[in-house]
Amino acid sequence: MAESVTSNIREPQPTPAKESRFSELAIAELEEIASHYPERKAACLPGLWIAQREYDGYLPPAAIQEVADRLGLSYSEVEGVATFYTMYNLRKRGRHHLEVCTCLTCAVKGAYDVVHKLEKELGVHVGGTTADGEFTLSEAECLDFCGAATVMQVGDKYFTQLTPDNVKQVIDELRNSPDYTPAKLADSIVKVLVPGASATGGGSYSAEDLKNPAGPML
Amino acid sequence: MAIRNLLFEHREIAGIEEMDVYEKLGGYEGLRRAVTLERQAVIDEIKTSGLRGRGGAGFPTWIKWNGIPKNTDKPHYLICNADEGETGTYKDRELMLKLPHLLVEGMVIAGYACLGTAGYIYIRGEYVEPAWQIRKAIDQAYKKGYLGKNILGIEGFNYDLYVHMGAGSYECGEESALMSSLMGERGNPRLKAPHAPLPVHEGVWKSPTLVNNVETYCAATWILKNGGAEYAKLGTERSKGTKIISVSGHIAKPANYEVEMGTPLLELLKAGGVTGGKLKAVIPGGSSVPIMIADKLDKINLDYESCAASGTMLGSGGFMVFNDTTDIVLLMKRTSEFYMHESCGKCTPCREGTRWLFKILDRITSGGGREGDIELLLDICSQIDGRSYCGLGDAAAWPIVGAIKAFREEFEYWIEHKCSPIGDHAVPPTPVVVNPLLTLTPA
Repeated sequence: MAESVTSNIREPQPTPAKESRFSELAIAELEEIASHYPERKAACLPGLWIAQREYDGYLPPAAIQEVADRLGLSYSEVEGVATFYTMYNLRKRGRHHLEVCTCLTCAVKGAYDVVHKLEKELGVHVGGTTADGEFTLSEAECLDFCGAATVMQVGDKYFTQLTPDNVKQVIDELRNSPDYTPAKLADSIVKVLVPGASATGGGSYSAEDLKNPAGPML
Repeated sequence: MAIRNLLFEHREIAGIEEMDVYEKLGGYEGLRRAVTLERQAVIDEIKTSGLRGRGGAGFPTWIKWNGIPKNTDKPHYLICNADEGETGTYKDRELMLKLPHLLVEGMVIAGYACLGTAGYIYIRGEYVEPAWQIRKAIDQAYKKGYLGKNILGIEGFNYDLYVHMGAGSYECGEESALMSSLMGERGNPRLKAPHAPLPVHEGVWKSPTLVNNVETYCAATWILKNGGAEYAKLGTERSKGTKIISVSGHIAKPANYEVEMGTPLLELLKAGGVTGGKLKAVIPGGSSVPIMIADKLDKINLDYESCAASGTMLGSGGFMVFNDTTDIVLLMKRTSEFYMHESCGKCTPCREGTRWLFKILDRITSGGGREGDIELLLDICSQIDGRSYCGLGDAAAWPIVGAIKAFREEFEYWIEHKCSPIGDHAVPPTPVVVNPLLTLTPA
């Protein structure tokens, strides 16, 4: 994937200022998740997901620093993890990050036609973000829903059986949705990690709910 | 047709992902039966069934379970590998989405048999919907007392189950890389036995760790409910039971098919129905295994031994079908691009080799093929194969070697004529090359 190699490299930035943007709820979530493992370090990946939500859908250096401080790790350790995994955004993405799977099955079922159509429709190349900041277009490696090729992931949703003809409809649908999907994806993943979160059906819960150590909300 | 729905028995039933429906249809009976047995008897049941790991390697499950030491004071951890990333495979997705309790029950059974302290279900970051079903299933199991303290009233049977989400890395589906990732590190693989201790002795946090695939745990649930001997009645002599095959590509009915081991490959193709042209090739077990040419398929049965005898592998069951509009060289270019992107970068042969494979295939398919390129590709493949910590490098090399073996004339055509032997219908090359570092100008 040539795209992620280029557009997901961090721009040079000054040493991050100490910042604290984790809300009270985010801190409670991080502590709850950290208690699942014998070592706090294991909460690094979940911590980065929380940070990606709290820092508007991407991880500026300040976010890395905050995760490192809260877990007692060094900045470079956390930065190393954040740069390894492709789903952590090191740069700000558009309001909807369109990731079209172009791996084998999708490719033979016409994924590149879908990509071309999207490029034309949005006026950007793969890896680019539209001028209004609404869409970022990427290619993705196998999203593993090959039976429903072509597949596109946007935030926490999959769009399936896409063709050049029906993809415009998906774009219009997304344009009208109020969500900021990179942050919404991070939020959904954090909720999956919190025991008892299904009690709220994916809705909100308070830091108070997480206080009970024997499985909150259960 | 040898479709046998064991795990998928109830997949069409509405609400099966909820505890009450699942229990009504015999859910958690496997666990209730397991806890009446001695721990060793549970492992023996798995041994009788002949169950082998469904993640791709086909290692006998009972040996792993039996290998967990019984007399350490260290905690024991269980991991479910739900980091399904193999191209063409989507069986775990459906299992978790529709039958989450099957997996949860299987992990509790394994927790009982292996004296587990805690279990972690490592789900790939993209699978938010399946993960949410697992979350719900775990929460319901806690409420019912199938998880937590003194499970089913058994003094001292304390076992917790957690979800751990990945963040986009194919490499983390590899056992040792998955353990690194679970411990909050980069997903790099580690040295393996015999040079390092087995995970069952020293896995995560230096403790005994059991790692199994989603389908393996689900099968364990079925085995404990219905008996290992019942499971062993299905399949071939060395490949027992059923395997879920994810069928995709040029096929009329792409879906997950649960088939009895040993089912002829052509029967599965008949059930799916090839579309859009004549059948050209099949990849039977995910992108990592060699591609098979259409006229050699009649000898292949879907079990570990038959696939191996034909020079391919059953792998994870990602069954991809290609008709005669597919350009194999472009397909291999896309495969090598996948492995180039997903190589974690730890071992030089894989990191550099996958890149060179892609560069050369990209050059050939941009009209810059040279004489000797095929030998060069084969040479690089032999330099990668078996020379890195994990199997990713091997998996990048095998398909290309296999494709050159089966479709050498297509590679030659590309090199000689600087164009596709297929014409307009082929997989189009990557639309835009964004990074100039990754392309070679045609010479």
